[in-house]
Amino acid sequence: MAQQLVPITRLGKFFGGEDFSLDVSMGREWLDGDMNFKIVLYSVDRTKTVNDDVYGEVEKNGIQFFPPVSINAYVQILQPDNKFLGNSKVIQNEPGNMKFSIYTQDLIDLQVNINLGDYIGYWVSEADVRYYSVVNAGTPNYDNKHTYGGYKPFYVSYVAAPVSANEFMGL
Amino acid sequence: MGLPRKQQVIPTINLKPEKILLQRREELLQYIKEDGTYLPKSLMHPDLDRGFLDFVKEDLKTIVAGSIIPMIDIIITTQNWSQFTQTWNFSDLNDNPEPPFITVVRQPEVKYGSNPAIMYNIPNRKEYFYAAVPSWNGNIKGLDIYKIPQPVPVDITYNVKIVCNRMRELNEFNKNVIQTFASRQAYRKINGHYIPIIMGNISDESVVELEKRRFYIQNYEFTMLGFLMDENEFEVAPAVSRVMNYTEINAQTTLPKRKKFPENKDTFQLSVTIPANATTKQLNVDYTGDFITQGQINIDSYDVYINNDFYGTDVTLIQVNTNDILRFEVVKKTVGDEAILQYGIKLL
Repeated sequence: MAQQLVPITRLGKFFGGEDFSLDVSMGREWLDGDMNFKIVLYSVDRTKTVNDDVYGEVEKNGIQFFPPVSINAYVQILQPDNKFLGNSKVIQNEPGNMKFSIYTQDLIDLQVNINLGDYIGYWVSEADVRYYSVVNAGTPNYDNKHTYGGYKPFYVSYVAAPVSANEFMGL
Repeated sequence: MGLPRKQQVIPTINLKPEKILLQRREELLQYIKEDGTYLPKSLMHPDLDRGFLDFVKEDLKTIVAGSIIPMIDIIITTQNWSQFTQTWNFSDLNDNPEPPFITVVRQPEVKYGSNPAIMYNIPNRKEYFYAAVPSWNGNIKGLDIYKIPQPVPVDITYNVKIVCNRMRELNEFNKNVIQTFASRQAYRKINGHYIPIIMGNISDESVVELEKRRFYIQNYEFTMLGFLMDENEFEVAPAVSRVMNYTEINAQTTLPKRKKFPENKDTFQLSVTIPANATTKQLNVDYTGDFITQGQINIDSYDVYINNDFYGTDVTLIQVNTNDILRFEVVKKTVGDEAILQYGIKLL
């Protein structure tokens, strides 16, 4: 049965679908053309990955992935936090999380979906890449901030935490 | 008290070692190489810490998926560079130690020990006999008495932490710990001493915040019931020295004859001879007894004086005492010949 579509007519007196599409396209032009921040999505193939029946864990390099996808995103890397590991005397300069936002239309165009636990690669320099794991997949994103004043969702905000090297080091 | 059995009696004691001088020194060196010195090895804080690190590294070695979980093989102190020297080979791209790994944290304070075997002592650090060691300087064979003070008990608390991001690693390490401490305590041989280690509390310090990197940190608390033994307090003092004395003796094997003495007689014969040219004879008597006349030769008559007192004429019995002076005055039958009075003396 085909999905029933309902037109969005709110804010119709001074805002509409064409305005919405125009603003989003301008934003995408700014993000993709001017900023040009790119991340690489390593989406976990949850079907092919063989994990533990009890803990759901896999061994090192045991996770199977879909082909990586490069995505334009608005990226923020938070400051690292220098502290001891628990109550030990081991100093750990814990890297900050990565917050990134992606236009929904980009995800639609690339036919990808970013889920909790997917891995993100981000080149901090020509030689160094850092990997993160998505800890907040941005859903739901129909709050006012993500819906252009309540009209329609147009971007998704994600939070990813750095991962240990023995968990993921790229493909 | 029963006598020792015959085979336990050592018939001879070898007072002189078979090897002396250089050979003896080489022999002593061999002893040292084989079994160490006679004295126990010193046991101080660094020894106990090293021993505990070795205990974790060897006795609690954990292997998951064919790989040994690495361990930071030092007690991390205030000098931060030391951490990097031990973790560089399993650091990640951010130079942080990469899980999984194990680290040992020692609580800086070391408390007076609670080991009941040694916690109650005679005060004032008295030194006690430890061993008597034979010594030989080439001339004198003696003993050295080794004395050491009673060790001081200490309790050192260690926190062994495993940092990892898989439950399997936690399980494997936990299994090793629980099996090792199935009897609540385990032992580590440190410098030749068996030191008990008691397992304490197990707690969790895992980072499970919502939007942070997640990993497990589990803390295992152990208390080492150690003791301190300072080799600078050992004392070696000479004890008994055995001195060899030589005595020259006659090697004759025949038995000596018993010396014979005359019997103690209480009667004997006495002849009083008056020379040819005299008519008087004086005797100093040194005994008490009776002079009994038994015969006379060339005597017509005689007078007897004791201590110049007239005693009698031709008396046949004269009683004398010790130190008396007895004098005979005789009338000879033939003047010019000697005369003899014969007496039997009976001592009283």
